[in-house]
Amino acid sequence: MSIYITGYGVISSIGNNVDELFTSLKAKKTGIRQGEKAFTTRYKVGEIAFSDAELHDHFQLKTEGSRTALLGMIAAKEAFVGHELRSDIRTGLISGTSVGGMDVSEREYANYLNNTTHNLQAYGHHSSGTSSAQIAQELGVTDFVNTISTACSSAANAIMMGARMIQKGWLDRVIVGGTDSLTSFTISGFRSLMIFDEEWCRPFDETRKGLNLGEGAGFIVLESAKSMEKTGKQPIGRLSGWSNASDAYHQTASSPDGEGAILSMQQALDVAQLSPESIDYVNAHGTATPNNDLSESKAFLHIFKGKVPPFSSTKAFTGHTLAASGGIEAVISLLSIQHGMLFPNLNHTQVIAETGLQPVTEVISNVKVNHVLSNSFGFGGNNSTIIISAV
Amino acid sequence: MYYIHTIASITHQDSFQQANVWNTLTPLTPESTLITPDYKLFIPPAALRRLSPILRMAIAAAKSCQENNEDKIDAISIGTALGCLTDTEKFLVTFHSAQSDTLSPTAFIQSTHNTIGGQISLDLKNHSYNMTHTQNGLSFEVALMDAILCADDGKKAVLVGAADEAIGFLKQLQPDIIQDNRELTSGTTCCILSRERKASSIGIVDCLVRAETSDWQTDISDFLDRNETKIADIDAVFVSQLEDVKYVDHAVCYIDYTGLYYSASAFAVHMAYDKLTHTNAKTALIINRVCGNQLGAILLQKDEAPH
Repeated sequence: MSIYITGYGVISSIGNNVDELFTSLKAKKTGIRQGEKAFTTRYKVGEIAFSDAELHDHFQLKTEGSRTALLGMIAAKEAFVGHELRSDIRTGLISGTSVGGMDVSEREYANYLNNTTHNLQAYGHHSSGTSSAQIAQELGVTDFVNTISTACSSAANAIMMGARMIQKGWLDRVIVGGTDSLTSFTISGFRSLMIFDEEWCRPFDETRKGLNLGEGAGFIVLESAKSMEKTGKQPIGRLSGWSNASDAYHQTASSPDGEGAILSMQQALDVAQLSPESIDYVNAHGTATPNNDLSESKAFLHIFKGKVPPFSSTKAFTGHTLAASGGIEAVISLLSIQHGMLFPNLNHTQVIAETGLQPVTEVISNVKVNHVLSNSFGFGGNNSTIIISAV
Repeated sequence: MYYIHTIASITHQDSFQQANVWNTLTPLTPESTLITPDYKLFIPPAALRRLSPILRMAIAAAKSCQENNEDKIDAISIGTALGCLTDTEKFLVTFHSAQSDTLSPTAFIQSTHNTIGGQISLDLKNHSYNMTHTQNGLSFEVALMDAILCADDGKKAVLVGAADEAIGFLKQLQPDIIQDNRELTSGTTCCILSRERKASSIGIVDCLVRAETSDWQTDISDFLDRNETKIADIDAVFVSQLEDVKYVDHAVCYIDYTGLYYSASAFAVHMAYDKLTHTNAKTALIINRVCGNQLGAILLQKDEAPH
């Protein structure tokens, strides 16, 4: 059964919607800059300029929620524009998040530690499931709501869960993707792991030192053919392949040979019934940490038998948006197919000596893009691959 | 039908690796504590020291399931409502009170929800599908739906489980945020299921997840209708809410035995499994309304002996 994509929405540091994201990608304009919040000021981050209150007003949101939930509402609503809820189409929402409402909780917990006024109501936003419930409430979705929390592969996993639920016949249409806001918790966490680059991150570059974090949300709408007959929606792409596999190597690091990455890419190709040669573009996980990019490069060499298709990491545009990255990158993959374009891996000057793999570094137009493979790898060795194809 | 081949729970009951928990269930008292096995039998001492209670119990339960199952686990689906709260709180305290730039990463690394599934995959050296679901009171049910999809895909040994841990801080959130005054507890249940019957004749027939219900009794009736049965024909009913006991006269409130954690319906599956194994009961229904307007339901059945 084919799984069609009939909507997309995004917010990140390179734009408040799909058009703005596309404009930034074409202009090679990064959203990463010196942070402006108390906890980001020391780092280069892909921060969204709006405050929580500004997000709420500017995007005319009806529902209260954590910053993570607000970003999710904005992207999910854009994805759902032109769609309507109806009783004969079972519609679900599956969102990936790693922090949920931690942005609210961490502020309140600081008050608690400082013995100042402790507003317990704030923790009502904390749970990751609640952030998805808030997004669902904004959209009016009540049939099925679920949250996947597998760190940086969350959105990719939410996308594949949605596809499998449609195949099973449990849902006709599902809004899938992910959202994460920047929090002091995550900034401190990645600081403790010492994997920040204080300069602009350089994915797949020999001199890469680490990542820049970002925030945002990306969602797509998946529909069955039967559902599209009722809605009259035209597909902008198909979700043709997906897989998740465990690296089972280390809680945070990737295995040196990318075993989990090889498994997830191979199984996704199997689901799509595609050979590696049919992949026209790879949107890599490419966080710019020394460990990830080497491991992922080796996995590419293995899967594509040395003939690696054009690939890039777009994280030097958006920063690593953690649980949202697979959703944002699914939107970028769809733009690549729709416009026949490949988007560059910014800040790249020198190939990784050990693998010699050269990513795409300029905007490339007028290419036929039929199949895009997109990777998302998370803590816990959680490796996911989705394949998006032209209709 | 999705047959349950082995099941393991660590709860406030003496439930771990017991042949029949149904016979020994006792309602919680204020003195009840989590009854834990000797973790050293499951986790190397060096690793054990840095693992929080939720990780210890989930790893032990998962390992016990693998040890009792001939086929290697080929998919893992874990549900947790609030995840690794001990490490989350520890890291909140660490970075809020840090005086220097150097922070210990352990609590951060172990704070993400998928540390549970990730540690299980690491410990079992298991490369299979590994998913973590979290949806408040329905966290186990959504993980179970994923497990059903895995079994339909032909997986032969799907590990599905739930784990949640209580920390002292949570008590402050009762009753305003956690709108339930029952004792907050910890617990985990893992089981292995597949479509193949094997030795066990007991399995899960169907699972219902409603993000919001306005009339839960009608939703339950519809759920039973689609499974061609009715409430009067169900031999054992397990409910999360004490007031729901009056819905059918032989219902048991499972939270009386687990205490309150949002994924406790997983232990209700264990209770139902043992009841179906050791009594004449042939069908069981779990009705989960532990959180707000969410509704979950799980229907279990024992096959007739084959002739």
